Amino acid sequence: MNTQLHEYTRTQQSSLANYVRTGVLNNVEGLTENRVHYYRKLVYNVLNDSLQSAFPITYDLLDEDEWNDLVEKFFCNHNCQSNEIWKMPYEFCRFTKKYGDELALKYPHLNDLLLFEWTEIEVYMMEDKIPPQFAVEGNLLNDVLVLNPEFNIIKLQYPVHLKGSKEIKKDDQGNYFVLIYREPKTFKVQFVNLSVYYAWLIARLLEGSKPLIDIYESAEETFQVDKSTLKKNSYQFITDMINNKFILGFKNDSNSK
Amino acid sequence: MNRANKHIGIGFRKDFAEEFLEKKILTPAFVEVAPENWMGIGGYWKNIIDKVAEQYPIYMHGLSLSIGSPDPIDWNFLGRVKNFLKTYDIKIYSEHLSYTKCDNAHLYDLLPIPFRWDAVHHVSKRIREVQDFLERKIAIENVSYYTPVAAEMTEAEFINAVVAEADCNLLLDVNNIYVNAFNHKYNAEKFLDQLPLDRVEYIHMAGHEQVEPDLIIDTHGEPIIIPVYELFEYTVNKLPKNVPVLLERDFNIPELAELQHEMSLMENICRRAWNHEHAVA
Repeated sequence: MNTQLHEYTRTQQSSLANYVRTGVLNNVEGLTENRVHYYRKLVYNVLNDSLQSAFPITYDLLDEDEWNDLVEKFFCNHNCQSNEIWKMPYEFCRFTKKYGDELALKYPHLNDLLLFEWTEIEVYMMEDKIPPQFAVEGNLLNDVLVLNPEFNIIKLQYPVHLKGSKEIKKDDQGNYFVLIYREPKTFKVQFVNLSVYYAWLIARLLEGSKPLIDIYESAEETFQVDKSTLKKNSYQFITDMINNKFILGFKNDSNSK
Repeated sequence: MNRANKHIGIGFRKDFAEEFLEKKILTPAFVEVAPENWMGIGGYWKNIIDKVAEQYPIYMHGLSLSIGSPDPIDWNFLGRVKNFLKTYDIKIYSEHLSYTKCDNAHLYDLLPIPFRWDAVHHVSKRIREVQDFLERKIAIENVSYYTPVAAEMTEAEFINAVVAEADCNLLLDVNNIYVNAFNHKYNAEKFLDQLPLDRVEYIHMAGHEQVEPDLIIDTHGEPIIIPVYELFEYTVNKLPKNVPVLLERDFNIPELAELQHEMSLMENICRRAWNHEHAVA
């Protein structure tokens, strides 16, 4: 038996799908023309609702026409690849970064804002990761610290995590690092603004092989700052990260949890 | 666990997840989830689905397999589905007799397959391939449609041909039959009589919304109306065996007691039809 879909049937299906996305209707046989628009409306609403839910701050920042135009442009031109609709907003981020130049002129922080909002979702939803074995007590300087693996660090040009999105100006442009992580027991997503130094420090900790005392040695060389000053200045940050469950404990196999 | 509903399950929604687990207002025989919403996740929602799975059998109803698509089957996705089925020991996996992806783009809603012979062969082959891959039969759902597309046979002929050729089970959505009968002006009971009822593995029930004098949209956002209950009663009396029944409510979700009431109405209909002694209050 020939199980190949005929070209005619394939074209009919493609034409309907294309109409749903673009509103351009081409020769679909037998359609009830005064009803077919419901398909376009239903699909658009699913997409729009998901995006509004994923990007509430961006939705609030853009005026209604700007938002609708952007969503429509995405809907018509982008081939969504995610089976899971909750992942689709990441594709919207990438699409806007690539094709949203006009809006980015008015809102230079738009792409950063979308990325920040998406990363919160990504971290909230990410699959559980098991950290290496750790002890809850140890030596802050001499033991290797174990980090919570459920996190992401993003680099931004605008402080969308620090200021209201409508207050951000061109002058705010700079280098911002944000640590976004999921608390192990509450599953709440937290974010922390990081200086370049703290972003670097976390990157070294992530390597999982060196204790702080060795990392401060490298830092002294990298940042040209005396290591005792670095040690003093970092103490509060490290303590906060322990209290906030980003640093889980100490790599210590003999006293592991 | 003592479950008041022996046959009726509930479509599990994040909107009522906490209340569902804490208050036990709903007493479903099982819960149904969409794999696309629960696969490959961690944290809070993984914790929730694990708790649900500890307390209830889980059935799975897919959204994005797009069995009727001209595009190739996404075997990577299906591999993840297979793992999910195994992880939660899921007995029923169903999908829609429709397409949701075309020209390499997901549309996130159900488009109608042309009722044509080549489409029957194409869809049936794909269902068989999916069943071989999953090492189990799947159930295929009759969907609501608002316009025919290039049809050369009736909907009932199409469904019958696919189920026979694919050797799959049927997920009978009673509300969809009502919606289609209304929208396309045919008799719902006569339509139902034409379906392969011996293949029905599972039933869906839901509410809908009339948006025009001659058009109903299958929204899952309203209570089930009496004529749909009547069609449901007609259906369960025709079935050769007892099957699980699901209440779907995806939008405009009311107090859980209202959903429980709807489930009880269906449970009573099942018990009457399937000769159980006691009805549910």
